[in-house]
Amino acid sequence: MKRNLYVLLSLLVLASMVLAACGGGAETEPPAVSTEPAAPEATEPAATEPAAPIQSGIAVVTFVQQPTTLSPLYQTQWFSSITTQLWLKGLWSFDSDNNAIPEIAAEIPSASNGGLSEDGMTLTIKLRDDVLWSDGEPVTANDFVFTYEMFVSDKNVVSSTYPYADYVTSMEAPEDTTLVVHFNAPFAAWLTTLFNTGVLPEHVLRPVFDADGTLDNAAWNTAPTVGVGPFVFTEWETDSHLIFEANPNWIRPAKLQQVFIRIADDAAQEVAILAGDTDIGTFLDWSQADAINSSGKATFVTQPSGYDEGWFLNFDPETAHPAMLDVNVRKAIVMATDREKIVNDLLGGLTAVPATFWDSTPPYGNPDISPYPYNAEEAGSLLETAGWVDSNGNGTRDKDGVELVLRYISNQRQLRKDVQAVVQQMWGQVGIGVELVNYGDDFFNSYADGGPIATGNYDIAEWSDVTSFPDPEQSSYWLCSQVVGPDNPDGGNWQGYCNPELDALFDQQATETDPEARKQLYYQIGQIMFDNVVWVGLWKDPDLWAVSNRLQGVKFSGASPFWNAHEWSISE
Amino acid sequence: MVNYIIRRILQSIPQLFLISLVLFLLMQAFGDPIASLGVRTPPKPADRERLRRQLGLDQPVYVQYVVWLAGNDWMKIDMDGDGVPETPGKRLGVLRGDFGNSLINKRPVSELVTERLPNTLLLMGVVEIVIIVFSLAFGVYSAVRQYSLFDNLFTGFSFIGYAMPIPLLALLLMYLFSINFKEWGLPYLPTVGMFDPQVGRTPGQIALHMILPVVSLSIISIAGYSRYVRSSMLEVLGLDYIRTARAKGLQKHIVVIRHALRNATLPFVTLIGLDIPFLLAGAVLTETIFAWPGTGRLFVTSISQSDFPVLMGILMMTGLAVVFFQLVTDIAYSFLDPRIRIA
Repeated sequence: MKRNLYVLLSLLVLASMVLAACGGGAETEPPAVSTEPAAPEATEPAATEPAAPIQSGIAVVTFVQQPTTLSPLYQTQWFSSITTQLWLKGLWSFDSDNNAIPEIAAEIPSASNGGLSEDGMTLTIKLRDDVLWSDGEPVTANDFVFTYEMFVSDKNVVSSTYPYADYVTSMEAPEDTTLVVHFNAPFAAWLTTLFNTGVLPEHVLRPVFDADGTLDNAAWNTAPTVGVGPFVFTEWETDSHLIFEANPNWIRPAKLQQVFIRIADDAAQEVAILAGDTDIGTFLDWSQADAINSSGKATFVTQPSGYDEGWFLNFDPETAHPAMLDVNVRKAIVMATDREKIVNDLLGGLTAVPATFWDSTPPYGNPDISPYPYNAEEAGSLLETAGWVDSNGNGTRDKDGVELVLRYISNQRQLRKDVQAVVQQMWGQVGIGVELVNYGDDFFNSYADGGPIATGNYDIAEWSDVTSFPDPEQSSYWLCSQVVGPDNPDGGNWQGYCNPELDALFDQQATETDPEARKQLYYQIGQIMFDNVVWVGLWKDPDLWAVSNRLQGVKFSGASPFWNAHEWSISE
Repeated sequence: MVNYIIRRILQSIPQLFLISLVLFLLMQAFGDPIASLGVRTPPKPADRERLRRQLGLDQPVYVQYVVWLAGNDWMKIDMDGDGVPETPGKRLGVLRGDFGNSLINKRPVSELVTERLPNTLLLMGVVEIVIIVFSLAFGVYSAVRQYSLFDNLFTGFSFIGYAMPIPLLALLLMYLFSINFKEWGLPYLPTVGMFDPQVGRTPGQIALHMILPVVSLSIISIAGYSRYVRSSMLEVLGLDYIRTARAKGLQKHIVVIRHALRNATLPFVTLIGLDIPFLLAGAVLTETIFAWPGTGRLFVTSISQSDFPVLMGILMMTGLAVVFFQLVTDIAYSFLDPRIRIA
């Protein structure tokens, strides 16, 4: 009996070993790279592009979360969206400084080149005529129109219909290289939202949509063998890896032969980086910087992506401490906090203090504003001017019988607790008392369950937040109309801040389609929020990456991190 | 015997129903799958409401359970949001073999699970063999040489091993054998995954990548199981029939292996029988730490995304396996121990 059991188990192991060794994951077909020189477009020499180099080398990228899907229609998470830069380009990408770089578009449309109509309601985008799908079919404006149709179709359970359902009235392709987009109002965020996760191949997916009535279950979603980018998808074994091979049809041929994305959790990723088994590490933590930089195998890299750690302040007169409503007190709080010291001591000096909410979203941060400096004396005299003095000698300032003790809350993240403790000491020196509270994430962020921020049970709340990067839009946090309450449970303004002057500027920028003019509006918005101390930045909270010393040419970007993947190369 | 098997199978049907109902209700506590979506920021309110409706998450729990069980091809869904259901459903339900689709990547649950099974079976199969072989060897040797140096040393080590949390052990092994050995210029082991992409997916690579996870997973069980084997061997070795066998002049190893071990392994078989269903469920922590793409990792990923159709699929498969292998274990008893009769 026992011998039989051994034989059975051994057979089982052998069988699964064979299965595991042969199994190719979700996809078993070879990559759909065209080898025939039949398409006439393919044979025409592209005058401006250099000859295709010989591809070599495999770059191993570690993802600490599994992409949920690859299709732009259904992407729900960052890891899904960043893969598209490898295999599914859109009209343009964004470089390290957040400049738009044309990909399938021949140029970035603007008022001066006739791409953007005077009323800001119509966008005419010229496409390159030499872009091919990886199977050799030409990419045309019809592919973009098809993509738009799929986003707004009721038949597809897409992750988001924004901005197509909200702002686009129609799209058309008068010719193969011209895409015309009509908006229902001047729409400022067109540059940062249209097709920013790629375009769908109509010749592959239209037949699927016609046959199934939906693209929800299309095999292409998780095994997109046809794409348009420096690499072509070839294999995805869930929770193990994804493989992308160089695509000879792309206009900027890759130097690498393959990008291998391995899915591993944080602890495994760190070991793999330190052992030199991975070339790019993702979603790292500040605490890993030292180990990575001193390993001799890789370098810790930061890239702004719109996030800043900061303080959101309570402005609701019914729930906030009365001192919070005085701008001089708010200024004193900031000046009593040595933010440079926090950055140096707790974050290894690897980042900087932002002055406005838009400093990490270039070019919208106002370069003329610098953060309030640390000055405990000035903070003290500001408080005195505001009438907050220690009249009862208990070490904490007070006014009209109210002690200056502020409720400073955050979630359970250790780094934030450390910051709270340091701030408590700093404020103690100027006579500001503090009550520190830390909540579980779900409760901290909840409105429905009566979380502390939603109900105003705080004076200062700390978390990391972001614009609609690379777009600067985040006005719902401060618009009067967005103040949250029982009649407006979905409101985005949890601080209760309301300033008609700021409202007017936010409304104006939302329809300002000229990027330069919009930038100037954000400079004004930044100035008002800075002068009134509406939001306080603690540190710029960039994306944290690791790059191995053997992988060369990597330049990240906050919006489309792998935008220059075609330039990556391996040096042994 | 046949009657017994049929009766047990019939008993298991309501059992499985009850399991599925309880699990389904527990799933509701996992949080809102829609809320955990979002590329950078949570989904916009309009998208949230539309997704909830299109995925059927706006329905009461009992409707969702019925749909999960019996499908929705007999009812219509409101896809366009005008308040009037118009699109016929397509799901067949678990009773007709359709475990539904993942909420996150829309792929069929059965496909997701069966894709991982070979990887998990491979890892856990090897682990189980290593556990059986080494627990028996150490347990028997310790019992035969009771209070010898080996027995004392092994007893000490097994307590340390038993007290060791797997994640700690796994990370220690990885740092030692992958990072430090590489630095010291010694032959080193790979860190994570099933194979080195620079080499490719070969049986040799897979075997190499299995060493650390297998060691991490088996050390703890060997430490525990060998104690069971040791104590039941000690008990049996003191019985009269062993003395009789020895008195007959049988060689020692025949007495130990053929006479003592066969009787002493009965409790061990129960343990192994209970283990087998969990072979399918995979090793949640170890698969995650070593980036081994098995069902355990699928489970962890699905929890983090509140992807409850996938969670239900894995749990029901495990439940089914527990019921099945308990039956097998009971039947195996009657072969191992002639005193037990199944009627």
